[in-house]
Amino acid sequence: MENISVNKMSDKDELANLRTLMLAPEQSEISELKQRLNDPRIRAEELSRVIAEAIVMRTTTDQKLATALLPTIEIVLRDVVKKDPKFLAETMFPIIGLAIRKAIAEALRSMVQSMNRTLEYAFSWHGILWRIESIRTGKPFAEIILLHTLIYRVEQLFLIHKETGLVLQHAAADSIDVKDADMVAAMFTAIQDFVNDSFSTKEDASLQNLNLGELTVWIEQGPQTLLVAVIRGIPPQELRNMLQEILENIEFEYGLAIANFEGNAAPFEACKPDLQYCISQSQQTDSGARIPVKFSTKSIKQNTKKNDGSWVFIIIAGVLCLIIIIAGIIFSAVRW
Amino acid sequence: MIQKKICLMGSFAVGKTSLVRRFVENMFSDKYLTTLGVKISKKIVNIQLEDVTILIWDIGGEDLFPQTKLTYLRGMSGYLLVVDKTRASTLEIVIDIQKKVRGTFPDVPYILLENKTDLTGQWDIEDSTIEKLRHEGWDIMKTSAKTGLGVEEAFTCLAAKMLKKTIT
Repeated sequence: MENISVNKMSDKDELANLRTLMLAPEQSEISELKQRLNDPRIRAEELSRVIAEAIVMRTTTDQKLATALLPTIEIVLRDVVKKDPKFLAETMFPIIGLAIRKAIAEALRSMVQSMNRTLEYAFSWHGILWRIESIRTGKPFAEIILLHTLIYRVEQLFLIHKETGLVLQHAAADSIDVKDADMVAAMFTAIQDFVNDSFSTKEDASLQNLNLGELTVWIEQGPQTLLVAVIRGIPPQELRNMLQEILENIEFEYGLAIANFEGNAAPFEACKPDLQYCISQSQQTDSGARIPVKFSTKSIKQNTKKNDGSWVFIIIAGVLCLIIIIAGIIFSAVRW
Repeated sequence: MIQKKICLMGSFAVGKTSLVRRFVENMFSDKYLTTLGVKISKKIVNIQLEDVTILIWDIGGEDLFPQTKLTYLRGMSGYLLVVDKTRASTLEIVIDIQKKVRGTFPDVPYILLENKTDLTGQWDIEDSTIEKLRHEGWDIMKTSAKTGLGVEEAFTCLAAKMLKKTIT
């Protein structure tokens, strides 16, 4: 019996010996691999070699990495602000300063224009009618005045790539004689460069306004593009705000396409409806008569609903008055 | 439709403006050259069945290329340098301009145009000088604004070089 078990033992030993003889290099490789997998330091080192490339590759395929990192980044930002708010404030300062100055300038301009108009019409017959309209519709008095007095028309809009002066998109009102948009835009860019060079402006200064008789040209500057509006008449500040909004939207949505722009304007076809909308908002009627044109801003759109409700109230109030008057007449008649 | 901006540079009275006048769409008068220092015209060429709109910034001719003019070159995809074949000094000026431009725009393709080649008796630029430039990598073509020789080819050639750049 012992012999058999000894044989078995030696079989096992033999097997082990055989394995070692045949697979010694692989066995040592396997144990090395096991060591690498189990040692976090080594794993981290290996990952560190490829992690940058892996991230680049992932970002080109889909957005999942951004989504995955979002909660982490939120926590990081919160911690940064908690730990050292001064650091964030200092970093943001150059941007904030500029943004605040711009916002204040726009608000003041808007206020001054509004005040001027209000004073002009406060005590006229129109003023009284419009004051009633203002109470009825809930819109500010200044806005009602603007709606009734400003006569203007956006004739053309150019979206221009700042660096090359090439046209990304162009829209024009009907029956406008449009000169070659490409050349006009390029020349316009040249004029901007000329003014900046000749009259040594500050770094962040930019051409905003050109006035020539009836024509007003407003220029909105974005980081990579210009939005140029050719306007005939006296445009309200709300139009300026609308142009700013349009430009900001375009820079945001098409930022990458603009940065990669090398002459192909096809990606910007989708901008045309926005430009067309801006122009159509300020069209005169076909009769050509110089009637005041209405300009709707978002605030006006929101108030329109209120408008409908007010009409009902007025009708009810009117009917009630009528009933009271008739009742009064009947009463006095009965008295008699 | 692809659009590209190119600049046209060279010394005074080499015929830059006449070179383009007959072959491009003109909208602005030459007075802009003296006031703004630049005049813009447009040309459409056809490269491999594709229309390319070229906006040509004709930079007013001066013997010295001031710093301010470099701003007009911003965003250009290619440029043409024009010399007067009957005046050798115009070539030296252009070589100087090219050095300045190359500093800021090292990879932008360009072509040298020898203009006024119709005045065969008065050629002042030596062929050897031209050959030397060719060896240094310059592309050089002969043109005449008067006869129209080489003008279309010059624009088409530059457009092709610019598109090749975009593809790579």
